[in-house]
Amino acid sequence: MIDFNQYISNYEKCVSKYIPPKQTWTPVDEAIFKPRDLYRIPLKEAKEMQFKSIKYAFNHHYEKNEFYNNFCKEHKVTPKDIKSIDDFNKIPLIPDKFFKDYPKGKDFATWIANIYTGELPEIVIKNNKPTYDEVIDAFNKAGICITFSSGTGGKHTFIPRDQRTFYTSEYAAAKSLLTMIYPLWEYDAFGYLLMPNPKKTNVYAGKALEIYFDAVKDISVAIDREVNTELIRLTMGGKGIKGKIIQLLAKRTSVKMIDDIIKWLELREKNNDKFTMVGAPYILYAVMKKLKREGRSFNFGEKAGIGTGGGWKVHEHNRIPFDDFQKEVEEVLGIPGKYCLDVYAMVEGNGWMVHCPEGHYLHMPYSYYQPFVLDEEFNQLGYDESGRFAFLDAAAGSYPGFIVTGDQVKLLEHCPVCDRPGPVLDPEVKRVKGEEIRGCAEEVRRMLSSDIGN
Amino acid sequence: MASFKEIKERGYLPQKNLRRLLIFGTLILIKMLITNLSLIRKLSQIPSTGKQYIRPPRRYDLPKFDKDMRYCDANEKYLRPTLYCNSHAPEIIALAHELGAYKKSDREFAKAAFEFAKRKITLEMMSLDGVEYTIRRGAGTCLHEITVFVALCRAAGIKARYKLYSLTMIQAWEDTMIVDPMVKKFQDAMGYFMIHGEGEVFLDGKWVVCDVGPTPERQAATKTPISRFGEDSIGVWLNAVPGTIMFTESLPYGLNVMMRFVQKIAPMTIDKVNKNILDEINRGKEILKEKGEENYDKEIRKSFKPKFPEPVLKMKKSIIFEK
Repeated sequence: MIDFNQYISNYEKCVSKYIPPKQTWTPVDEAIFKPRDLYRIPLKEAKEMQFKSIKYAFNHHYEKNEFYNNFCKEHKVTPKDIKSIDDFNKIPLIPDKFFKDYPKGKDFATWIANIYTGELPEIVIKNNKPTYDEVIDAFNKAGICITFSSGTGGKHTFIPRDQRTFYTSEYAAAKSLLTMIYPLWEYDAFGYLLMPNPKKTNVYAGKALEIYFDAVKDISVAIDREVNTELIRLTMGGKGIKGKIIQLLAKRTSVKMIDDIIKWLELREKNNDKFTMVGAPYILYAVMKKLKREGRSFNFGEKAGIGTGGGWKVHEHNRIPFDDFQKEVEEVLGIPGKYCLDVYAMVEGNGWMVHCPEGHYLHMPYSYYQPFVLDEEFNQLGYDESGRFAFLDAAAGSYPGFIVTGDQVKLLEHCPVCDRPGPVLDPEVKRVKGEEIRGCAEEVRRMLSSDIGN
Repeated sequence: MASFKEIKERGYLPQKNLRRLLIFGTLILIKMLITNLSLIRKLSQIPSTGKQYIRPPRRYDLPKFDKDMRYCDANEKYLRPTLYCNSHAPEIIALAHELGAYKKSDREFAKAAFEFAKRKITLEMMSLDGVEYTIRRGAGTCLHEITVFVALCRAAGIKARYKLYSLTMIQAWEDTMIVDPMVKKFQDAMGYFMIHGEGEVFLDGKWVVCDVGPTPERQAATKTPISRFGEDSIGVWLNAVPGTIMFTESLPYGLNVMMRFVQKIAPMTIDKVNKNILDEINRGKEILKEKGEENYDKEIRKSFKPKFPEPVLKMKKSIIFEK
């Protein structure tokens, strides 16, 4: 078996463009790029990194972001007040809803410019009344990646990331997952992305996986067409002839997509290839359902791995429990449970919480990310209590990543099953009562039309 | 019937932002109606047990009107009567005098009008009507409450206007408002609540904001500070959707159409919201009874931190719009 250090070195060789030059490393970079295994850093060392990186990030946003600076002033907090990790609870948290309250047209561009931390490059928008997609494209051309999720209720969340923040997030995503599936990953393998093509979308869960193309030699993509806010609007219930045509096409391509994935699996079996599949569980669930209907199965064993993320709804009123999904993966694809892992993340953050193979608890990247569980008054709760998930994310360099989410979680001090030292989340993550359903997978599910699993 | 000139001058026509909001809201509502017919049918039926909400008694006695009472009859912007805000109505003139019009300084009177509108009018979801009806009833929406404040100030010769915007609220307030799947769907689709506002009074050359919407009991029930004269609610218990804040002399046409429509198709939804508001008021009363209003406010201000950052919409030189 390959040595873990060698394993990570191999990964870093593949993704070297994502790692900033060492001489430019900030405390945030030290906390993300230096540790070989983000989940096994000794607690004392990790806490030092965490303090330095989050304090650095807080100072950065306090100094360079006007709206966040005002918010801090209202909270009467300055960077000087953050003297130790115990002071982290003083850092003002932004409700995730804030990133959903934006105006249209020209004002949308101004809104993005104002939530962005730091100096913007020149952004040219070729329309006086631009659509969301036109604004996003203009920012992207200037090197600011505006990703979005998850408009299940009709409103997207938009987050601006500069290239450094985006690369860091992608690097952390891939490193987190391949650490947990050690020693499965290798470059000379195959991959299937169960999400829109990152090169043709700004949906975060798709876009953030662009690194998959650099980390694995041969990647196929489930949704290989341009996916923008307008297409999402049309596929998720757009009216009129245009909407109907798009929905019909989406449905037809979705059925074809399932057949393509099965053909791809057949080829992997025939050639005895090593592979991974990453993305929306809903698509793989539809594949397995079709295989079962046809009385077929595979036995890929330890040559394959599955990484899922983005939500567990398989139909409008049907949420599949992860255990059942994992069982299906074992039965239909013959892939062991330790290589079937779920990832919990969100467009507002750059922390990737990944299942450990031993117990399937969601592990935190605690060297640059501080999780909190809050009550309804946003007061901090202790370990083992359920409440609203919030986090301080040092990796967010281009917007303040100090955020309260609409997810209900339970935070544990250590994993009850494995020996990784950091905090974990109970695998069961729900939405807080009254919060709209969200998740990139859910968005993709609605886009594809919910019939493909039937 | 107002002339077109008057309609235009006094701002009865919705501003561009509000027009957009109204059109968007109406489209969403129509879509919801078409796609949720059975749910709408269910919500429109009043159960055999009848409605749950019973309007509480008015919190004040109506003062007597005397035709010799002085009032401001200037036809000047922010001083004259506007839609739903007849500052020449006898009820308003009498109340203004009871609150000290033409005896107190402008600031002192504005404070008295603020305290009255904030503390004495019970929040109740309903369609818009004239301010004199609100005074007689002692209940109305936030827009009714602001209108009471604005009309009182204008009757006393002090300029006053509306500050309107779309909003998202803290969870505790949303829990009171989101009572059934229809409201939830509407809010999810819009991403925010349609419209809310505050009053503004012109004192010493400056507009002073007055958050008359929530009574102290409701603020106690939702663990927020009791807003004082001159304190904004934006950033405290609500967040204004960027780009939607508008200042206007009058409530515009169009707002009432949607409210009437909702009242017609979903009376039970309105009933549930109003019942929830009353429950909230009662919970708050208990808290204030136990702690005392001053102590409660002092205590909550020590620990309370704004929940929402205030978004900034400053033009940046680095963004260039090509025509």
